Amino acid sequence: MRKTEFTTVFFALMGFFILLFIILPVLSLLFSESPEGLIETAKNPVVIDAIFLSCYTAFLATLVALIFGVPLAYILARKNFPGKNVVKAVIDVPIVIPHTVAGIAVLTVFGSNGIVGGNVGIQFVNAIPGIVVAMLFVSAPFLINSAREGFESVDPKLENVSRSLGASPIKTFFKISFPLASKNILTGSIMTWARAVSEFGAVIIIAYYPMIAPTLIWDRLSYGINYSRPVAVLLILICLGVFIVLRIISGRNHDKT
Amino acid sequence: MIKLENVSKNWKNFSVENINLEIKKGEYFVILGPTGAGKTLLLETIAGFHYPDTGRIIIDDKDVSFLPPEKRKVGFVYQEFMLFPHKTVFENIAFGLKIRGEKNIKNQVEGMADLVDVKNILHRHQKTLSGGEKQRVSIARALIIKPSILLLDEPLSALDALTQKKLRDELKKLHSETGVTTIHVTHDQEEALILGNRIGIMDKGKIVQTGTPEEIFRKPASEFVANFVGAENIFTGTAETKESITEIKIKNVVLYSTVRKSGKVNVSVRPEDIIISKERMKSSARNVLSGNIIEIKNKGAIIQLIVDCGLPFAAVITRQSFLDLNINIGSSVYLYFKAGNVHLF
Repeated sequence: MRKTEFTTVFFALMGFFILLFIILPVLSLLFSESPEGLIETAKNPVVIDAIFLSCYTAFLATLVALIFGVPLAYILARKNFPGKNVVKAVIDVPIVIPHTVAGIAVLTVFGSNGIVGGNVGIQFVNAIPGIVVAMLFVSAPFLINSAREGFESVDPKLENVSRSLGASPIKTFFKISFPLASKNILTGSIMTWARAVSEFGAVIIIAYYPMIAPTLIWDRLSYGINYSRPVAVLLILICLGVFIVLRIISGRNHDKT
Repeated sequence: MIKLENVSKNWKNFSVENINLEIKKGEYFVILGPTGAGKTLLLETIAGFHYPDTGRIIIDDKDVSFLPPEKRKVGFVYQEFMLFPHKTVFENIAFGLKIRGEKNIKNQVEGMADLVDVKNILHRHQKTLSGGEKQRVSIARALIIKPSILLLDEPLSALDALTQKKLRDELKKLHSETGVTTIHVTHDQEEALILGNRIGIMDKGKIVQTGTPEEIFRKPASEFVANFVGAENIFTGTAETKESITEIKIKNVVLYSTVRKSGKVNVSVRPEDIIISKERMKSSARNVLSGNIIEIKNKGAIIQLIVDCGLPFAAVITRQSFLDLNINIGSSVYLYFKAGNVHLF
């Protein structure tokens, strides 16, 4: 019989504890509510609106990140230029700064007196655009980095061949590079969406209202945990649902190529 | 027709310097040189993937030096095939036509697939293809746009020896059928010898000699060329095809080859294809010669012998077999090699 090495057993055991640490709170939260109580909460339009708003604004943030982030990711993957490492570091800034700090930074620019908020004629404070920019700020790095890795894995020689066959650079991008990086871009989009849905700190600083789900949960906490927990459970169920479905879709895409 | 005038390019660790070259319409030109000589960079500059630092590139009387690749109409085939992995074989071959918005794509693709013998795999994805199949598809994809020139970058180097030989012969056939002007880059002397109408030897970014295979192999212009191509056994003789075999007379020596060719021919046999033995042995090899060793050259792990069989033949053996055979200058030995290893050009 093959003996399992001690190291493997030891590492698996350590890993098991960290897994348990993640799973236990989530499961106990899920099972803390009776189905009847959840249904009751789900019927409350305030709760439903907040959860829908969370998903919707996170989707908008992801869309904006896609439109502006994918071109940047492609440039970073293909071109060398002075200051490239600085650009890469800038992209990672939102990941390392505290979320409240991110919120204040975003407010400084998009607040009523900020250089953008005060000049473009769009209301950001306590409005949907405010939620979107706060989410975008903290979540865009995931999409950009993942898309960059995707483009880096596409051999430039494939693009050369496409060009030699008569495709312009932009046609080559849409017919060759983008489809081949699409798995990474999709994964990045999912991560960005998930990160945006889960953002709280940055959002409340620029837009406490209209309430996204995490804000509502926070708001209700002041009336007691039993009042806020059902919303938390609903949010977690919906987010996990979306997350799993998207993961399955991206997994399928992967198998095809 | 393609003309390079003083083309120079530096890119990463590679460079090409002052390349002057003229390749006629319908010619099969082979650029032969060791790894790192800048062959691929030169080919990519001709294709427009890089723009030259200095000099001009002229294709069909038009200066294309700074034209982007999509406007040059050159077909490019990489050593690593570079099939689009998200597309089927059909879609790969059709790509150039689709981009141009051509009609009748299906017929054209099928015709081309017929030519390179991939008709039965059109619906498949690249990961289910063998190396040989991938390279055929890649050649078909390049040829379908009816390129002014076909650029082949070590097209056979990623294939196993058997497929290599097969595809090599087919490249020759394909060239005579389509007449497409071709530049083929390789480090393999035999490939250059068999395929090239003309050969350019490249070393350290420079073309050091151009000429017909015969000129290059018989009159190397420099020591580098001589060393690079010189280890070959090359003779001139008269060939006569008899049934399934070709008989070549070179002075008093008769060799047999599987290549069908008649009249005055150049013959080459690679030293590593020759087996040396002290005793006469039973062998399936068609060519058996005997002679005396006139020279022994120590080349490190291998030993090169020159054997006088009426013609001086170079053969290489490992140091170990050299010791086992216990031979010396003047020893009489037998040389064996297959008719399939006797190349005519």
